[in-house]
Amino acid sequence: MTMMATECLLQLCEQRYEIEDYQSAVPRWCTGCGDNAILASVQRLCRDEGLRPEKTVFVSGIGCSSRFPHYMRTYGFHGIHGRALPVAEGVRLARPDLTVFVNTGDGDCCSIGAAHWIHAIRYNMNITVFLHDNQIYGLTKMQASPTSPRGTKSNTTPRGSTLEALQPLSVTLGVQNVSFVAQAVDWIPESLYEVVKAAYHHQGFSFVRIVQRCPEWLPKIWDPWLHDPKRILMLDHPQGIRVSDGLKQVYRSTVAHDPSNIDRAREIASDTDSIPVGILYRNPAVPCYEELRATPGLRTIANLKQGLEAELDKFTFWPP
Amino acid sequence: MHAEVHPDAAAYVTGHQAAAAPGAPAAPALRPALFAAYRDLTRLRYDFPLVLRADAADGRVYEPLTALVERLIEGGAERAKALRIEGELRAAAAGGTGSLAALGKIEGELVDCDAALPARLLAHVWRAAQAEKAASFRRHVERLIVKLDDILRADRARSAAGRSAASLKASFGALHDQAFDFESMSRFLGTVSVQTALSDARRGRIGATLADLRAQRFYAAPGVEALDFRFDSCAAALQAFRARVPDMMRLAKAITLAELEVEGEFSSERHDALFERLAASGLDLRDLALFPDYLVCVRDAQVRGAEQDALLEILAGGLPMKILLQTDDLLGEPSGRAGHVPASAHSRQLAHMALGLNSVLVLQASAAQLGAQRERVLRAMRYPGASLLSVYSGAGGHAGALPPYLVAAAATESRAFPSFSYDPAAGADWASRFSLEGNPQAEHDWPLHEFAYEDADHQRVRVQVAFTLMDFAACDTRYAGHFAAAPSAGRGAARVPAAECVQREAKGVPDALPSLLMVDERNFVHHAIVDERLLREARRCNDAWRSLQELGGIRNSHAERLLARERQKWEQERAAAAPAPAPASAPAPAPGVATPAAAAAPAPGPAEAAPPPSSDEPYIETPRCSSCDECIQINNKMFAYDANKQARIVDARAGTYRQLVEAAESCQVAIIHPGKPKNPDEPGLEDLLQRAAAFP
Repeated sequence: MTMMATECLLQLCEQRYEIEDYQSAVPRWCTGCGDNAILASVQRLCRDEGLRPEKTVFVSGIGCSSRFPHYMRTYGFHGIHGRALPVAEGVRLARPDLTVFVNTGDGDCCSIGAAHWIHAIRYNMNITVFLHDNQIYGLTKMQASPTSPRGTKSNTTPRGSTLEALQPLSVTLGVQNVSFVAQAVDWIPESLYEVVKAAYHHQGFSFVRIVQRCPEWLPKIWDPWLHDPKRILMLDHPQGIRVSDGLKQVYRSTVAHDPSNIDRAREIASDTDSIPVGILYRNPAVPCYEELRATPGLRTIANLKQGLEAELDKFTFWPP
Repeated sequence: MHAEVHPDAAAYVTGHQAAAAPGAPAAPALRPALFAAYRDLTRLRYDFPLVLRADAADGRVYEPLTALVERLIEGGAERAKALRIEGELRAAAAGGTGSLAALGKIEGELVDCDAALPARLLAHVWRAAQAEKAASFRRHVERLIVKLDDILRADRARSAAGRSAASLKASFGALHDQAFDFESMSRFLGTVSVQTALSDARRGRIGATLADLRAQRFYAAPGVEALDFRFDSCAAALQAFRARVPDMMRLAKAITLAELEVEGEFSSERHDALFERLAASGLDLRDLALFPDYLVCVRDAQVRGAEQDALLEILAGGLPMKILLQTDDLLGEPSGRAGHVPASAHSRQLAHMALGLNSVLVLQASAAQLGAQRERVLRAMRYPGASLLSVYSGAGGHAGALPPYLVAAAATESRAFPSFSYDPAAGADWASRFSLEGNPQAEHDWPLHEFAYEDADHQRVRVQVAFTLMDFAACDTRYAGHFAAAPSAGRGAARVPAAECVQREAKGVPDALPSLLMVDERNFVHHAIVDERLLREARRCNDAWRSLQELGGIRNSHAERLLARERQKWEQERAAAAPAPAPASAPAPAPGVATPAAAAAPAPGPAEAAPPPSSDEPYIETPRCSSCDECIQINNKMFAYDANKQARIVDARAGTYRQLVEAAESCQVAIIHPGKPKNPDEPGLEDLLQRAAAFP
C-alpha cells in the first residue's frame, strides 16, 4: 500500500446528497409560480454536482425571486433592493472557496440594480446569476417592470405602460467582457436544467434569463409561447447544449447556433417573436476578476500589519 | 613476373600506409573539408556562448548570446555597437572570461562550450526548476501553517485563558486599555458556553502537525538549513534518498493531515487506522512530486560496476532524480587488436537501456545542441520522475586544434551521437513521446552539404558532401592511422565518396576505394582513403541510426509495409470493380425522417416519453413537470414528487376523479391526463368527463 493523497482520503468518505438535503423552508410562492420550477432545477443541480451545502451561497435582492435563499438549505444572503450582485461579488472576493449563486428579478436586476448589473458583467467574477423574469413586480402586487411589454396594465400604468420593454439578453450581450449568456423557460424543465448546469460549469459571470410565469398577476402573458411550441427556438450545438430527440419532436424550431458567435447571438436575442432557449453566447477565455487581482502573497496578519504600517508611515509626523 | 601491391588498395585493406620516403615533407594535418570555413569560431555568430540568466521571468533560463543581442537590437540598441560587444564577449568567453556588464542590466553568466559546460548548464536549469517547486511548496505549506495556527488561535481565544481580563486587555492594545472594564467583559464572556472547543487529541494533533511542517528541511526556510540535493555519484544520491524516506513520509503525512484539518474533514474514527496502515511501504509518485528533485552529475567513465547498478536502480525505480551522464571521449582509444574498432560508446548503450524502461525521460544531445534544446532540457528538469540527460561535451582533448563545439556538432552531424528525446509525459504513444528533433536532415542516412572548391584547372567545382562517422573519426588524432593520403586526382586507384560505400558490401578490394574530402591548414583539398575497418564501423553506425529513424517514424518499415499492402488491396479492388458498376448502396435516409433503426436508438432523453398507457388510466408526463406545486396542493396523497422533484401519480385511488380533472386543468404545462373515472357513482361525472376530454 502506498501513501494516498488527500483527495483519495476525502473520496473514501464522500457524502451523497438528495434533493431534500437542500430544501429548507416550504416555499410560499403561489402555486403555479415559475419560481418553483427554478427551485427544483437548482436543487437538482446541487444534488447532481454534489455541492456541499456549507460551501454554497445564494444571494438575492428583493422580490418574489429573492425569497429563493430562504428555501435552500445552504448559506444565503437576502439583501436589499437591487444589491444582490455587489454582495455576491463581495462574497466571492472574501471567500473564493464558496460557490456563489444569485437570484434576482426583473425589477431587482434591471431597474434599481441596473448599474450593478452592467459592471458585474464587466468584472466577470465566477458567479452564476438567475434572472427570474416574470415581467412584473409581483411581490409588491403588480407594478410594471422594465421588462413588462408595452401596453401592460398595472397599478402604476393603468392605461398601459408606454415604454418598449428592455431586453435583458441584448443588454448583457452589449457589455464588454460578457462571457456567458443563456435563456430558459420554466415550463420546459429538461432544457431549464441543462442551461442551469451549463451556467454553473462556466468559469466566469454566467447570466441566465429564465422566462417565468406569474399565475397571479400575468397568468396569460406567456400563453402564445406556451401553447405554440413553434415559437420556442431551441438552440442546439455541440459547444452549447444538445437538444434531445424527445424535445425536438415537440419543439420543431430547433436551430444550430454556435455560442462563440456573438453577432449571431445578438441577432437571436433581438427577435421578439420567438423565445430562444439554450446558450446564446459563451466565451471561456475571458479572464475572471479574481484571477486578474489575485495577490501572490498570503494575507497573514503579519503581512497586513506590515502593509498598513508602510502606508501609514508615509503620513506620520513626529510630534514636536 | 613481379606483382606490385597498389599502395592505396593496401591502405584500404590493411589499414597501414606505405612509409614515407626519407626526406619527404611531413603529411599535412587534415580536417574534414566541411570544416574549412570554421577556423576561428570567435569571428562567427553561432549558438555559443550561452548566457545563463539569473532572472528567468520570461521563461528563458538560458539562451545564446546571439539571441540576446538580437533582442536588444530590436529593442532599439545600436546595431554596430551591439555586434561589436557581442564579438568581444565571444572572444572573452572562449578564453574563459567575459562579463555581461557591457550589455547593460542583464544578470547572468557567460559559458562557452567546454568540458564544464554540461554540468554548469544543467545545474543552472535544475536550480531554476527547483526554485519554482520551492515557491509552490512554500505557498502551499505556509497557507496550511497559517490556517492551522488560526485554528489554534481561535481555540485559545475561546478558552478560559483567552477570555481572561488580562488576555482581553492585551488584545485591545495599549491605546484603549483604559476605555474598557476588562473584568466585566471577561465575566460576561464567561457566561457564554463554548461548545466548539477543540478536544485535547485534536489540539495535540494540530500542534504536532504544525511542528512537522515547520521543521521540514527539504526546502530552505528561516532558521532551517536545507538538505543538499546535488551529488556527484549515483550511489551517494541513492543512499541519501533512502536515508531521507522516513522524513519524507513524515512530511507527506503532515501535509495530508493539515489539509484534512483545514477542511474540517479529519475524523479519528475514519482516518486514524488508515494513517497507521500507510506506514513504511513507501511513497508514490504523487507524493514524491512534493519534494525537490536530485541532480546527479557523473562522467561516463565513472559509471561502472556499483555506480552503474545504482544508476539503473534509480532509473528503474522512477526516483525523482535528474542524471547528467557526460561523455567526453566518444570513440575511445583505438584498440591495438587487428580488425577491432571500439564498440558504440557506453553512454549510448545506457541511454538506449533507459529508453526501454518506458517511464524515464531520456534526452541525448551533444553540447553543441544544448542551446537549441532549451525547452526539452527544461521539460527534463520538470519531469516528475527520473530523467537521464546524456551529453557529449566534445572536450575529449583528442581533436587537435578543433574547438569542443565543432567536435560536439560533428558527433551529431555524423550520427555518431545523434540527438533524440523520449518524454513519457508527452503522450500515450511513441509518436507523441519520441523525437529526433535536432538532427540535421533526419530523413537521410547522412546530412549532405554543398562544398565548392577550385580544382587543378582553376575551375569551380561544386559537390554534395556527406558528413559521416568517418569524417568524425578524422577529427580524432588517435584515428589518423585509419586514413591514407591519396595522390591527386587522376593518379592511383579509382576513388568514390566514402558515404556511397557504406551500404555496399564489397568482397575483396573494391573497384573504387572509399575516400574522404579533406583540407589542410592552407585550405588545400586532399583526398584520404578510408580503411575497411572504419568503413565497417560506419556501417554499424548507419544501422543504429536507421533503427532510431524507425522509432522516430522516419522510413518506418512497419508503416511502409502496411501502406504497400493497403495500396495493393486498393488496386485489386479497383481492378475488380472497374468492369461492372459498383453495387448500389442503400440510400441514406432523408434528414428528419426516422428510420426503424433510428427509432430503436438506445438512451432515450428524459423528455422522450414512453408510449402513453391506455387512455383509461390517469398518467402524468413526469419529465415535463415544472414542479409548480398545483397538483400537490390539490391532493398530496394522489400526487407526489419523485427524486427529481417532478410530479407523478402515486395512487390514483387516493382521491376523486374530480381532483384529477382539476389537477389537469390547473397544470401549467398540461401534462396530466385524467383518463376514465374508476368510481361510476361519483357525482357530476358527465360534466367532469366533458372537461377531461381536453386532456386525452
